[in-house]
Amino acid sequence: MPLDYPIHRRTLPNGMRVVVSPDHTVPNVTVNIWVGVGSRHETVGRTGFAHLFEHLMFQGSRSVRSGEHFEALMAQGARLNATTWFDRTNYFETVPTGAVELALWLEADRHGFLLDAVTQENLDNQRDVVKEEKRQRYDNQPYGNALIDVYAAVFPEGHPYHHPTIGSMEDLDAASLDDVHAFFRAHYGPDNTVLTLCGDITAEHGFAIVERYFGDLVARAAPRRPDHPQLAPLEQPVRVERREVVPNDRLHVAFRLPVDETDDFIAGAVALDCIGGLATSRLVRRLVRREQTALGAHATAWGFVDGASLGFVVLDVAPGTDPDEVEAAFVEELEGFLEHGPTAIELEASLAQSERSWLSALASQEERADLVSHYLLLHDDPGVVNTHLDRLRDVTAEQVVESARRWLRPDSRATVAYLVADDASDAETVTTEDVA
Amino acid sequence: MSAPRPDVTPPQPWTFPVPVEHVLGNGVRVLAHDLPGQYVLSLRVVVPTALSAEPDGKEGVGAMTARLLDEGTLAHGSEEFAELMERHGMVLGAGVSDGGLLVDVDVPQRHLRTAAALVTEALAEPAFPEDEVRRILRNRLAEIEQERASSAHRAARELARTLWHPDDRASRPTAGSTETIGALTRDDLVEFHATAVGPQGSTVVVAGDLTGVDVVGVLEGTLGTWSAPRHRPAPKPVAPVPAADGARVVVVDRPGSVQTEIAVGRPGPDRSSPDGWAPYPVLSFVLGGSPSARIDAVLREEKGYTYGIRSSFRPRVAGGSFVTSGSVRSEVTGEAVEILLGILDGARDGFTDAEVRSGVDYVGKTAPGRYATADAVADETAALALEGLPLDFTTRNLRAVADLGRDDLDDAYRRVATGEWSVVLVGDAATVVPALDGRVGEPVSTVDL
Repeated sequence: MPLDYPIHRRTLPNGMRVVVSPDHTVPNVTVNIWVGVGSRHETVGRTGFAHLFEHLMFQGSRSVRSGEHFEALMAQGARLNATTWFDRTNYFETVPTGAVELALWLEADRHGFLLDAVTQENLDNQRDVVKEEKRQRYDNQPYGNALIDVYAAVFPEGHPYHHPTIGSMEDLDAASLDDVHAFFRAHYGPDNTVLTLCGDITAEHGFAIVERYFGDLVARAAPRRPDHPQLAPLEQPVRVERREVVPNDRLHVAFRLPVDETDDFIAGAVALDCIGGLATSRLVRRLVRREQTALGAHATAWGFVDGASLGFVVLDVAPGTDPDEVEAAFVEELEGFLEHGPTAIELEASLAQSERSWLSALASQEERADLVSHYLLLHDDPGVVNTHLDRLRDVTAEQVVESARRWLRPDSRATVAYLVADDASDAETVTTEDVA
Repeated sequence: MSAPRPDVTPPQPWTFPVPVEHVLGNGVRVLAHDLPGQYVLSLRVVVPTALSAEPDGKEGVGAMTARLLDEGTLAHGSEEFAELMERHGMVLGAGVSDGGLLVDVDVPQRHLRTAAALVTEALAEPAFPEDEVRRILRNRLAEIEQERASSAHRAARELARTLWHPDDRASRPTAGSTETIGALTRDDLVEFHATAVGPQGSTVVVAGDLTGVDVVGVLEGTLGTWSAPRHRPAPKPVAPVPAADGARVVVVDRPGSVQTEIAVGRPGPDRSSPDGWAPYPVLSFVLGGSPSARIDAVLREEKGYTYGIRSSFRPRVAGGSFVTSGSVRSEVTGEAVEILLGILDGARDGFTDAEVRSGVDYVGKTAPGRYATADAVADETAALALEGLPLDFTTRNLRAVADLGRDDLDDAYRRVATGEWSVVLVGDAATVVPALDGRVGEPVSTVDL
């Protein structure tokens, strides 16, 4: 079934790219803004800053008092938030149709005139809130810092994806008001921002009101640096071991992948699906169902734009099983896949699951708007929402095995092992190979 | 900025979609929502069961039965069944609550017939292969350890144990404990399935774009063939009995924790409450539903002690709870708990007109968006079926929300918040216990993780 979500596109004179995607089935409009700045743009000593900055966007701007953004919109029936990721920062709200202009007015005020209202008090408060977010989501969770170890093991120091979006406590402590001003001036401007309206609105009206509220913003973002060149796969295995108070051993086996939206990335993601992403993947069949040496096996491919993407497999080792045995079985399955490639049934299953999850994402107006902004900002092609599945259908077994042979060789893996420590005093870190 | 702050045009009244109703030959009730543009169909099967009726020493048998439904049937082995689902773009989940067993499927429209046939197999003739039974039980034991290691899960478990009477099933984990799971056998699951899972009283909900789909035809040929001769209807669930000594503070010792997970609870209403359900979602919003709500205005936006603390009324089929939970850094635990209980108690003095307005508007005006997708509509209609509520409940409740005044909120809150709280703190006891001194009125005890 070919998809035909409408995509009307325009660029304002100040450089802001705008898409309107009408859908009148629900009396709501989603306003979704992506700014071309994420943790990949952070400098040494200021990790976590893009995310801390995102919090400050809710603390008032020229004509909006601190907290008013949330309050004013929620009182009109809006559901809203913002998130920061390696490649970008997004801000979004879904509002009843009659409140869409209020949403745009509030967004334009903070995207244009945040610095009029930023105070040391707000910075200090939100720094504390972000540190609690870090403790809640990372430091106080079993395996909570495992992915942070994965980023550091897979990507070399100084690479955009070497450090996590949440940053470090030291760097959060070091953030100053001057940093806030410099960051806003360098990255926040209509020429580094895209906006999607999705929902109960016509293209003509949508463009008119975006122009009304954002048209006066001045293009001023600093020129974007070119993206990093494609990073080659790791040349030899990297291993990081931690002994912690965790309920069972867990292995994270990670690989560098090609950048997002390349044929090679898409084929590599299908390969990871077949190996560990499906409920009937090779790792699930063998380790979870037959040998029962793993409690679970999952694989993920995250597409990034700045010189590399990331693929990883998570293996929960069954109590009483030697994690080395599980890793050896993983390598064996991987080698088998590299030799023979995917079966027709694996390809069919991967495509069927990708189709359902893609259609489910598009079923929600919020997620559809977010996908439009994603492909508009990072790939200048919002129509991907309609063409992505066709592209997946064209992936061949040959492409999958070729991509896997290039990117998923056992020697190119980084393994982060979280192993059960007898008690907290036993906790330690061992890194046996450094990143080249 | 040149453009002035714009006015807002109020939304038109909105109603929750009304499903088309049908009864299959074997008595299964069908509720179908045609939602154009929703290409992934959501299918829910609700089978009334009673958690409280699980045999002594076999707790978790319902949840384990649910997890094994798709792990092999008379017609298909476990792997074969998984492969069939996956190749048809299906995803299936199954679990139990206090009043029912729920099977939850999402599938692209063109595979509805296959999905309905596989769900029928899973419900009518699961094989419970010995290997799969052992695997699923073993995984549950590992899951219990993973839940123990997570502060939020551990807090929820301890809160249930503190809030409810020790003889009440609600005081113990729905999916069973190490002891009860360890005692389960394949025969237990087979017997539970034969007697507790059947078409009588069950409902199937289908939501999504039904253009060109013969829903009744598809379901008559699949779920309409389901029979279970030994099935006995479940007793009607009753509200859990609160613990006599529920008003106390329990510290769960988790040495080295950098945060303390806080959970504060009280018994609460279900959605059939004779006093009406309308005030409760509004109270959740006003107390703990946003950064500007009473709790986060202080603990997050003023003090910076937390990433966020949420309050919610959690209805069961019968009875429910009012739970406020979130985490704060360890050093401020004593002060944070004192402030939090102060806010929860202080709210018994009443809410402001502005709070009532903002909460009423938020709950009412977000409804069209909250119920905009097939899965959200299917979930709500399945919940109505499970709770025995009329199909216009959601719409009537929204009307009632719009009419709420200050007195309605004040009265509803005072019915629940009597000043006696069950408080659970999961954190480093050596730091937390001394810090509570003089800050909480209730007795404090400490338990192991």
